[in-house]
Amino acid sequence: MEIGKGKILVPERITQGDVIRVQAVVQHPMDTGFFRDANANMIPPFFVQDVVVTYGGEEVARFEWTSGVSRDPMIAFPLRADREAPLTFTYRDNKGTSYQTSIPIAFQPG
Amino acid sequence: MDQPSAGGRRAFLQAIGLAGAALAFEGISAGGRTLSARLVHSPDDPEPPNEIVAKILKDRFGDRPIQRGHVTLDMATMTEDGRYVPVSLESDLPMTPERYVKSVFFIIDHNPDPLVFAMHLTPRIGPLAIQTRVKMRRTSWIRAICETSDGEVWADYAKVETSLNGCG
Repeated sequence: MEIGKGKILVPERITQGDVIRVQAVVQHPMDTGFFRDANANMIPPFFVQDVVVTYGGEEVARFEWTSGVSRDPMIAFPLRADREAPLTFTYRDNKGTSYQTSIPIAFQPG
Repeated sequence: MDQPSAGGRRAFLQAIGLAGAALAFEGISAGGRTLSARLVHSPDDPEPPNEIVAKILKDRFGDRPIQRGHVTLDMATMTEDGRYVPVSLESDLPMTPERYVKSVFFIIDHNPDPLVFAMHLTPRIGPLAIQTRVKMRRTSWIRAICETSDGEVWADYAKVETSLNGCG
């Protein structure tokens, strides 16, 4: 597992003004701190706690997450695709590490 | 035979009248209470099961009524794996600059950390349809609560049974 490696899925064909479905996934253990490893040692809590979604530099959504979100979190939501601009997810975990995934939103010509 | 004196009868009738008025008033106020209670909290809405959940609701919504409606929480009534429980949440509330869903709160009553996630949104997010996956410790009521930009609070609830603890 490559912690923080993410992917954003959007429809292949986007026309200006469409409400598109954005699906994002990020690799992260999302450890609760309640489980033990094979040697019976507690696995400390380690999870993404803050997600910022920007579209063309503007913050369009922000999520508060806890370790109650499943391992390798997935989130899907709609977005009004009204301009050609990058869509960026910035994840920050409880150890302060940030991870970023970005894709361009581009319209089909014609 | 002794006739009741006029004064006595008047007093008696007044007393009856007062009692009647008091009863009527009681009835109306009780009716009003039932009505308002029904509007903000239907009998099948789950009560907060513990102080943690009650505190989350108090901290986030204060004394505003949490009304049922405009939100659809779609979850399987039974799930095998508490580590991956699919969540689907929709709302017909508007997403316009004038009025939109500014926050979504997702609470699993019997999880160690009941407020599993919160989403803070802008009108750039279209009509709400959200999917994600969460963990569950055990069978629990789940609350999906939407707060609008003008301060209204709307919710839907689901009871989900789970056998495998996904929280540890």
